[in-house]
Amino acid sequence: MGELAVSAAPDDELVSMGLGSCVGVALVDRERAVAGLAHVMLPAANAAYSAPAKFADRAVPTLLACVERLGARRERMVAILAGGAQMFAGARASVAGLDLGARNEAAVREALADAGVPVRAAATGGDRGRTVRVRVGEARVSVKEAGGVEVPLWHPHFHADDLVETP
Amino acid sequence: MITRYDEQQLDALRELASIGSGTAATALSQMLGRPVGLAVPRALALPLADALDAVGEPDAMVASVVLPVGVGDGDAAAEIVVLLLFSYRCAASLCELLGVEPRSELGDSALGEIGNILGASAVGALAQMTGLALEPQPPHVLYDMLGAVVASVLAATVGELDVALVLDASLTVEEASCGMSFLLLPTVGGVAELLGRLGLGAEK
Repeated sequence: MGELAVSAAPDDELVSMGLGSCVGVALVDRERAVAGLAHVMLPAANAAYSAPAKFADRAVPTLLACVERLGARRERMVAILAGGAQMFAGARASVAGLDLGARNEAAVREALADAGVPVRAAATGGDRGRTVRVRVGEARVSVKEAGGVEVPLWHPHFHADDLVETP
Repeated sequence: MITRYDEQQLDALRELASIGSGTAATALSQMLGRPVGLAVPRALALPLADALDAVGEPDAMVASVVLPVGVGDGDAAAEIVVLLLFSYRCAASLCELLGVEPRSELGDSALGEIGNILGASAVGALAQMTGLALEPQPPHVLYDMLGAVVASVLAATVGELDVALVLDASLTVEEASCGMSFLLLPTVGGVAELLGRLGLGAEK
C-alpha cells in the first residue's frame, strides 16, 4: 500500500495483493525484461512527505524513473492497470462518498498520458477487490478478482482485439 | 504531513480500544447466548504499508462489516470506522447460531446487525467516556479480499497522512471456534476529537 517495486530479474514476480479502491499500475518494457508495479492509494498529493507511490500524480513519474534506471525505454513502455473499485457502493457515509476508485484511475491515466505511456489493458472499476501479478521475464500481467480465478490481462503478443479494457 | 502519537496518547487510545472492545464482546455474548473471549487490544500507529500487514493477509477472502461512525457535530472529516473481519467459516457459523442461511440476504443482514450491535455498543462506551456525540451510520456487509476492504477504508480515513492509527482486538466465540477482528479506524479529525476530550490534545 503506497509502495512500489521494480525489477530486471527475469525470475521475479511483482505482486499487489488485495487492491480495492487503490490502483495497481504496472509498467512493462515490451522488449526487455524490465517491469515495475506501484500501489496507488489517492489521486493527488498536497503533502510534502509520503510513501513513494501513495499518490497517483507522484507515483507515475517515480515508477517511470525507476524502470528507466533499470534500462527500460519509454518508447517501448506500456502500462497495465488493475483496481480502482468502488468497494462501498450504496453506503451513505464518507467512506463511500468519495468514489476514490474512479478518481484514482482517472488520476493515474492522466499522469500516464502526460508521460506519453499508453495504457494497453485495464481491469478496473466494479465493486470487487483484485490481485495483480507481473512476471518480469515474460512481461506477462495477470489479475485475479476476489472469489475468482487468475486470468491473463496482458502480454507482449496479445492481439489488439483481445485486450481487456473496461470503459 | 506526518502525525506522531506519543506513548501517553497511545496508552489512552489503547484504553479506549479496550473499553470499546470489552463492551462489544459483552454485547456479542448476550446476542449469541455464549461466552465471548477477548484478547488484549492493540493501539498501533504504523506506516500505511505496515498497517495493512498488521491486520492480516491482504489476499485472504473475508466477510466484513463496515460501520462508519460520525464524531462530534457532524463534521465529515471526523469519523471513526468500525470494521469487523471474519473468516468465511466464522461468518457461516455465526449465521447458523442465529438461525439464518449464510450468504443469503437474511444472513448478510444478520452479520450487518452483529456489526451494528458491536459497533454501537463500543462507540456508546466511548461516547460516555469522552462526552462526544457519536452517530453510527448503517452497516455495510461485503465479502472480499482483506486488503481491498482495509486499504479502501484506510485510504478514506487516513487521507494524506503517512501514519495509520489502528485500534484492534480479537474476539473469539467459544464453542463455535470462531474468531473475528474488531477494528476502530479513526480519521485524523476523529483521533484529534477523542484525544482532545481526554485532555491529551493530538497537536504535538
